[in-house]
This record gives sequence, C-alpha cells and structure tokens, in this order.
Amino acid sequence: MINDIIAIIQDYWLLLLIGQYPNGPLGGLANTLILSALSIGLAFPFSILLALARLSKWSFLRWPVTVLVYVTRGVPLLMLILWSYFLVPLLTGADVPSFVTMLTTLVVYQAAFLSEVVRAGIVALGHGQMEAAKALGHGYFGAMRFVILPQALYNMIPSILSTFVSTIKDTTLGYVINVPDLTFAASQVNNQLLTQPFQVFLILAVIYYAICWSLTHVAYRLERRITRRRAGLTGVRPTAVIAPVKIVSEQL
Amino acid sequence: MTLPVSPHDARAIRISHVSKQYGDYQVLKNIDAEVTRGEVVVICGPSGSGKSTLIRTINRLEEINSGSISFDGQDIHAPMKTRELNRLRSRIGFVFQSFNLFPHLSVVENVSMSPVRVKGIARDVAHDQALRLLDRVGLADKANAYPGQLSGGQQQRVAIARALAMEPPVMLFDEPTSALDPEMVGEVLAVMKSLAADGMTMLCVTHEMGFARDVADRIWFIDAGQIIEMATPEEFFTNPRHPRAQRFLADLRH
Repeated sequence: MINDIIAIIQDYWLLLLIGQYPNGPLGGLANTLILSALSIGLAFPFSILLALARLSKWSFLRWPVTVLVYVTRGVPLLMLILWSYFLVPLLTGADVPSFVTMLTTLVVYQAAFLSEVVRAGIVALGHGQMEAAKALGHGYFGAMRFVILPQALYNMIPSILSTFVSTIKDTTLGYVINVPDLTFAASQVNNQLLTQPFQVFLILAVIYYAICWSLTHVAYRLERRITRRRAGLTGVRPTAVIAPVKIVSEQL
Repeated sequence: MTLPVSPHDARAIRISHVSKQYGDYQVLKNIDAEVTRGEVVVICGPSGSGKSTLIRTINRLEEINSGSISFDGQDIHAPMKTRELNRLRSRIGFVFQSFNLFPHLSVVENVSMSPVRVKGIARDVAHDQALRLLDRVGLADKANAYPGQLSGGQQQRVAIARALAMEPPVMLFDEPTSALDPEMVGEVLAVMKSLAADGMTMLCVTHEMGFARDVADRIWFIDAGQIIEMATPEEFFTNPRHPRAQRFLADLRH
C-alpha cells in the first residue's frame, strides 16, 4: 500500500505538480495554487466593497448588492459554476476558458460569503469608533481605512480564514468544467492506473490537507502576533522584563 | 498654547433657533444661545433633557430639523460638501463619554494619526506634537501603551490629547467623566481645568457641579429640550430662578 503510493508519486509527480505543461496547459498543484491565490486575492477586496455597499445609506447601491449576496449565498456553488460555464458563452458568444469561468465564479461566490463576515465585523464595532473618526475630521473612506477596517478585519480573522480555506477546497469543483487543477490531474492518474483509486485519492487528500493546514497555521500565528503586539508584549518592554530575569538566573 | 483668534467675531459658536425631533418627540425646542471666545460653558440638566443631543449637533454628529449653528462664521448645518464638513469638524474638538479611543493604535498613534491623515502634517512632526500633548495630560510615559492597558481616567486624558492634536479653537465635552470610577474623575477634571485656564473655549455637558462652580463662566440649564436658565455659576448655585433648576439643585444635594 505504502509502496503503491510511493510508486504513484514517483511515476506521476510531475503530472500532479504541473499537469501536462509544457505540452498542454498548466495544471496540477501549480494551477490549484494559482487559482486559489487569485480567487482569494480578488475575492477579499471585492468582499470589502460588497460589505460597504451593503452598509451604504444609498439604496441604489445597497439593494442590488443585497440581492446579489442573497442569491449567491442561496445557490450551491456547483450550480453557479455550471450556469457560468454554459450561459456565459451562450449570452456573449465568447469562448471563455474554463479557468477564467471558474475563477470568476469563485470570486463572486466567496466574495458574497466574505462580505457578510466583513459586514458583521464592521457592525460589531458599534457607532463610537466611526463617530470619533468623524469628530476628528476624517472622511468616510479615511475613517474606514484607518479606523474601522483595521479593527473589523482583525476581529474577523478566524472567519475570514475559514472562508479562504473553503475557497481552496472549492477549487476542486473546477473538475466538472475541466479546469486542469490538482483534482483533474489526480483523476487522470486514476484513469491510467484504474486499479488504485484509494491510493491516488489519498495522495490528493493529503496534499489538500497540507495546503489548508499551512494556511490555517500561518494565520493563527499572525493573529497571535497581533494580539501580543496590542497587549504591549513586544517592543521595548519585554527586554526590560526579561533582562532582570536573566540576571537572576545567572546569579543562581 | 496659543489659540487662533479671528478678529471679525468674538462669538465662537452661535446657536440660532435650533429644533430637533425624533418622530413625535421634540428633543430640542428652539434653542438660542452663543458661546464667546475663551468662554467656558457648562451645560447641565436632568437626564433625557437633551444636553448630549445639543452638544452633538454642534459638530453635526446629530442633524437638526430647523435653525442654524454657526461656527467660524459658517453654518455647520447648511448643505455643504462632506469635505467642507470634515474640515469644520476637524476644528471642533470633541470628547466622548465612552472615550472611543482607537484600540488598534498605540496611545501616541491615537494622538498623531489624525493630524497626519486629515491635516497632512509630517509624521515625525505629528509624533513630537503628540508626545508634548501626552506630557501635558500627564501621560508621557504611556505613549507606547495601547488603550486597553490604560485605566478609564487615563483613556479619557488620551482622548483629550487626541482632540487637542487637531489644534481646535473650541472643545466640546460630552459627559467626559460619567463613565469613570469616582477616583478617576479628578484627574480628568484637572486636565479640563488647565485647558480652561489656558483660555480654551469650552462647552461641557457634565454632572460635576464642583467643576461647574469653579471653572464655568456660564451655566446653561436645560430641561425638556429648552435652555430654561443661563447664569453665572454664582447666580445659578446660590439663587436659581427657575423652579425646575431649584429642584435639580436640591436633588443633587441629597
């Protein structure tokens, strides 16, 4: 069993890593990472815009975005992917690569979820912070950028992170519209071997777990660092606190 | 600290016929009053009388339904570009009951952030100014602490320094000591007293009658949305004319 897995990795590591590149499109793990990074990178700022629109006092901004968020959240992702895959070419006549279809759908879908997280973070802060910023002469965007969002986003790191992780996991659905990602590569391997699906998909699961776990871990450490900084545990003080302790231990 | 003095008008704030209602409830009824430069006005009155609402209309944290409030010769409630409103607000210092410090910024950043971001002052200049202001409110040693590490009294003194950093000609205080433990009230009042002694124009909503007696030039007594008595502290405390003010003072003595 272990030997099977090692053999599969030895034979197919390049396919799992980069797909059929350079003879075909870039695929495999590389493409999964690129798709995930782009989705998260685009969905995050987009979600902030959606959240601000949802909180806007202008109904012409608030209503369409509210509808978008509700509809997107109320429909399975797979359904959205199939819609964009079949409908966009029909409506526009353009031949959209499946990677772009998948990326766009993921960005809209995850941004809708994230926007609710961001909105909750902003609302949870209460009016006091915005009023204080206004009273000091900050405009709306200045207050958002320097006062509200740094706090709201920080408070929401755990929720934001779990959305990031689910974005990575959702890239696997690209398989159904032939996005050449890691899952696609693994199923190619499986199709060639035919007899070892358990081994192949175990490798797949381990790789996804490693990526998602690393992201969770990085964010956890980031969160702890910010918490420590805000509690005043870094900077000049710790040396002052630690130094005497060291002297004491040396004397002992 | 030198205060900018505009030669054309001795009035810092002019409140004319200001009314405000929430639905059927009339919070402010035709308020007419003015604050001259360098004057310290204490607004007092029973809770729910509209004192906080009144002071919040002066920098337009609350809108009004009719009337006008002029500051710097400009009606702050006139239709105007938000940029213009922000500029006016940046020249009116405001201290909140609940401090509202920015918890994600250190104390010195709390004080220096708005001069940098709103007025465009160089970062190091704003930093030095912030340190001077913190020294003035007695918190120079807390410059690198975060608001969460400070006591209520210390937080409120930082909030005062933060407002002063914009160099406003006028300071508004909305019950600055009401959220504090009793032993911390004194340190905040001391800072306010020293501001008043330096000639700052101040408008304070407060229940601290000792402060009102010692520092105020005039007292406005508000009840049910109306200023029913304007008097010097001496007149107000020894010989209040309005029966409602008499009752208020009698209640305070108990």
